[in-house]
Amino acid sequence: MIEAKLKAMVGSLRIDADIEASGVTCVAGRNGAGKSSLMKIIAGFIQPSAGFVRVGGVDVTRLPVEKRGVVLVTPNSAFLHLDVESHLAWGAKIRGRRPGAGEVSKVKSELGIDFGGNVRKLSLGMRERVALATALLAAPRAILVDEVFSSIYRREEFVTSYAQFANQLGIDVVFTSQEEGDGRLAGQLYIIDGGITARSPPK
Amino acid sequence: MAILRSIELSVVSSAVAAIVDIAMFTPLAYYLARSNDAILEALVDVPVGIPHPIIGVALLILDSPLTATGQFLLFLGVNFFNTILGLVVALVIMSAPIYVKSMQPYFESRDAGAEDFAMGMGASRLRALYAVVLPDSKRGVTSAALVAMSRALGEFGSISIIAFYVLQFPFYGVSPASVTIFQLFSGALPGGLNAAVTASAAMILVALPITLAGHIARRVER
Repeated sequence: MIEAKLKAMVGSLRIDADIEASGVTCVAGRNGAGKSSLMKIIAGFIQPSAGFVRVGGVDVTRLPVEKRGVVLVTPNSAFLHLDVESHLAWGAKIRGRRPGAGEVSKVKSELGIDFGGNVRKLSLGMRERVALATALLAAPRAILVDEVFSSIYRREEFVTSYAQFANQLGIDVVFTSQEEGDGRLAGQLYIIDGGITARSPPK
Repeated sequence: MAILRSIELSVVSSAVAAIVDIAMFTPLAYYLARSNDAILEALVDVPVGIPHPIIGVALLILDSPLTATGQFLLFLGVNFFNTILGLVVALVIMSAPIYVKSMQPYFESRDAGAEDFAMGMGASRLRALYAVVLPDSKRGVTSAALVAMSRALGEFGSISIIAFYVLQFPFYGVSPASVTIFQLFSGALPGGLNAAVTASAAMILVALPITLAGHIARRVER
């Protein structure tokens, strides 16, 4: 469960968020609505001026990024100098986790990673798949997916498999989208507009 | 030809200074790029802002057997005066700001996505630098180091005080190129103005490709 009840100024945008996210949650809003800023606040890259962020019941508001167990995936997340295999193992290694060979190959096949080689040579969509799978295998408390699902081929299938894996590993997933319709891929939908979040449908 | 040995000394000591710049000041440049530390940023400019001979004099005082710091350094076996170490230290001080000022915008222009991703998975900022940013920044580092090295090659003010000549193998009695050119020009070495001009031309032939390579390395990058 991710709870974010906070206020923050990001540039000229005032963020006012009230979110309780467990399982898979979609945060939808148009460009400039504050989606990415909110993700950065939850991940710990921007400090809120008031309020808190709790992950799994633990207040992480004052914790540095690397201690939160919250991974932010953006279109530019992939490590270009690695090959696919070592990329997939990277996060798990840092977190001291050893995913079994079966787990890795299952994640690869379910998420459509049927390619290898240097990450730099992959297309953007392929890089995004690799980054998302890496985050999953690292098994953090939460994964924030900023604008990445939208550019993935056969998105629905992908998000469904992704959610299943996350669920098995006990990882909460929050993803952003330009379209409110993407709420159907998630357990909960929040609309963000002008930096203010609202649950949809309202409780 | 004294000038050839001098150029050799200058190239070697400047290259070493540039390597020290990479090792010691890359984290600083990265920190400046990802933080908003105006005070530290101003401090980096200090060696550029003060007259260079003062750096030489400061090193001399720091290292003088008449001062406590100098006695301590002597106790450690560290000697700057007329040594390769002193020459390199002065060149590092003079070239590091150039290196940092060249690396900082490079890091700033990089999307932070991969670093943020690494940190979310538990990597510290420093680990993100070494494991994620640097393996992907070879050209940026090479370019900044070459620019810093060409800056070091041109240094005169500070090294003319701390290492007018070097009294160490394999450069025993050799002066840095800029100092030799000055000596030729001033008549301290025989040859007159013609020799000074020839020596300068030789130095330009060596320095120019290094400067150009630095700029080309940057251009070629993505």
